[in-house]
Amino acid sequence: MRPTRRSRAGRIGRVLAGLVALAALVAVGTMWWSSLRPATYSALAMGVPDTGDGTTSADADHGHGVGDDGDGPDASAVPVTELVADPLRVPDVHVELVARAESVTLPSGESFDGITLNAVTPGPEIRLRQGQLVEVVLVNESVAGGATLHWHGVDVPAAMDGVAGVTQDAVLPGERFAYRFVAEDAGSYWYHSHQVSHEQVVAGMFGALIVEPVEPGGADGPDGADEPGDPDEPDEPGGTASDAVALLHTYPGTSRTLNGTAGEVRHEAGPGDAVRVRVANTDSTPTAVWVSGGPFRVLAVDGTELHGPTPLERQRLQVSAGGRIDLEVTVPASGAVRVQALGVSLLVGPADAEAPTVPAPAELVDLLHYGTLAPLGFDPTRPDRSFAYDIGRAPGFLAGVPGIWWTINGRMGDDVPMYMVREGDVVEMRITNGSGEVHPMHLHGHHVVVLARDGVAATGSPWWVDSLDVGHGESYDVAFVADNPGIWMDHCHTLPHAVEGLVTHLMYEGVTTPFLLGRGSGNEPE
Amino acid sequence: MRTTYRVLAFVICGLVMLQAASHAWLSSGLAIYIGEGGTLDPNAPPAFPEALGFMIHGMNGMYVIPVVAILLLVVSFFAKVPRGVMWAVVVLVLVALQVTLGILGHEMSALAFLHGLNALLLFGAALLAGMRAKAPARVAAEAPRTSVGVG
Repeated sequence: MRPTRRSRAGRIGRVLAGLVALAALVAVGTMWWSSLRPATYSALAMGVPDTGDGTTSADADHGHGVGDDGDGPDASAVPVTELVADPLRVPDVHVELVARAESVTLPSGESFDGITLNAVTPGPEIRLRQGQLVEVVLVNESVAGGATLHWHGVDVPAAMDGVAGVTQDAVLPGERFAYRFVAEDAGSYWYHSHQVSHEQVVAGMFGALIVEPVEPGGADGPDGADEPGDPDEPDEPGGTASDAVALLHTYPGTSRTLNGTAGEVRHEAGPGDAVRVRVANTDSTPTAVWVSGGPFRVLAVDGTELHGPTPLERQRLQVSAGGRIDLEVTVPASGAVRVQALGVSLLVGPADAEAPTVPAPAELVDLLHYGTLAPLGFDPTRPDRSFAYDIGRAPGFLAGVPGIWWTINGRMGDDVPMYMVREGDVVEMRITNGSGEVHPMHLHGHHVVVLARDGVAATGSPWWVDSLDVGHGESYDVAFVADNPGIWMDHCHTLPHAVEGLVTHLMYEGVTTPFLLGRGSGNEPE
Repeated sequence: MRTTYRVLAFVICGLVMLQAASHAWLSSGLAIYIGEGGTLDPNAPPAFPEALGFMIHGMNGMYVIPVVAILLLVVSFFAKVPRGVMWAVVVLVLVALQVTLGILGHEMSALAFLHGLNALLLFGAALLAGMRAKAPARVAAEAPRTSVGVG
């Protein structure tokens, strides 16, 4: 009796376990199946429309990304290719950049398979004056799989954003593509490929883009506008005596470099000279810079001047991945100042002067409270759209591949929210991160202003960013005006993270794209 | 099935040992590399050979061990190991906890500390599970044989 009952119970148990296992298998199989993507697909299908007014995702009226909300059919939609700079205007500056896949040897002797622009990496520095129309022709000589150029931090017209599969097709070997845009805002920017960017950027396809202001100083009063006729002194942005660029970059299999050189790089300046050092972090992780040999001021962040910057000493500054920080250092009467990052430094001073190398200070400059308040130029307190961008991590399938992937608002892959806006909207976004890692978030085509961090309101200078580090457990309230119609990526600039699903788009209603993503398209922006 | 259960449980033990070893290896290499002035970026393959330990630790911990733990649970329903299902569940739960601690430990170092402790718990649980599949194996293995003979 007893053994029979037990064995019957055991049999029922096994059947139940089998059914549960089958159900689990079906569930997992369905997840896998629904995560598969067609050979080609549009960025318009790469997410669930979130209109930012509470009616998100599925309850929105079958929104297909554009043209809903009673605006009528997509026939009226503007293709992203029509969003360009004045096509009749003659460019003030013309640059040709030839991309080539080749072996690169650094000054330190290390070599790797890289990508050069005009035979160098970093690529040539492009220096413009505010208001100039620049035309940059990218010629792909031999980068297999194609390449593009994205103007990181420049709010270009959408067609010029350089995102393969969204704003253009990848420029294949033998092809060329002309980028045209007006340098409307002075500041420090950089450019890099946005086709297979997690490989091409690290391999060397990037460079500095500097836009100098028309009015030097800015604080000189109204007659500052008379100055631009003086072409002999182009190096006076922000009123400093000279100007240095410091591109931080780690190439494959090497340590960090500064302007392509490991260790110390010298920038000559005389005693008493104030030098603007434009630091750009072109790596995939946030890093820090600090100064030894004298005080410094933070003049600008991500291309936007700060208001009322005060001198700082013995503090380090975090530079977001993709972010830029403009520092002002002053060469002391004797010796020099050294701008340091891990592994590299820029020595600013007379030819034979020295400055100590010091460890990174423990104290971090908090840009939330640095400088003085100034008007934002818009009212963020009554936003037209209110979005959540909550970063997490979960097991699942991304395009059919099992793994532990990044999630946005708990969703992954094609189910992430796609943020819908109309031109002129004031947009508020809360970015939160519970994923266990820091994410340098980068919104294309716009600058966002930080209103608060972890609920603490900003009290310093307006802190405008295009690349913002959001650490684990942090929450940032940011706001911006949707003033640049297009389809704009909003992704993590730790570039491998974008491959792992941390990417979505800011979509303007009424804008569409003829370009396609997917393995059959040849476009792979991440 | 019992042997499969046993092998899978001991495989988890071995893989946990590999986790400890690969991490100690990369920590040593990393310390030497940084001590010599090196820096690293996750986008660029680091320039020291022990960096392979990152990949071993990550792939093994996030993919291989969870898959083996799931297999162990599946097998446990058929292996007739006393409390075999319970121990397979314990192992799987500890694996899930371990992956979570590992991932969150990237920015909260206290969790990395717990990650190390939990590794030993996981090792112990897998070892116990494997050993349970051995001792009563003969007794239980004979039982069905006799019952088959009788029936």
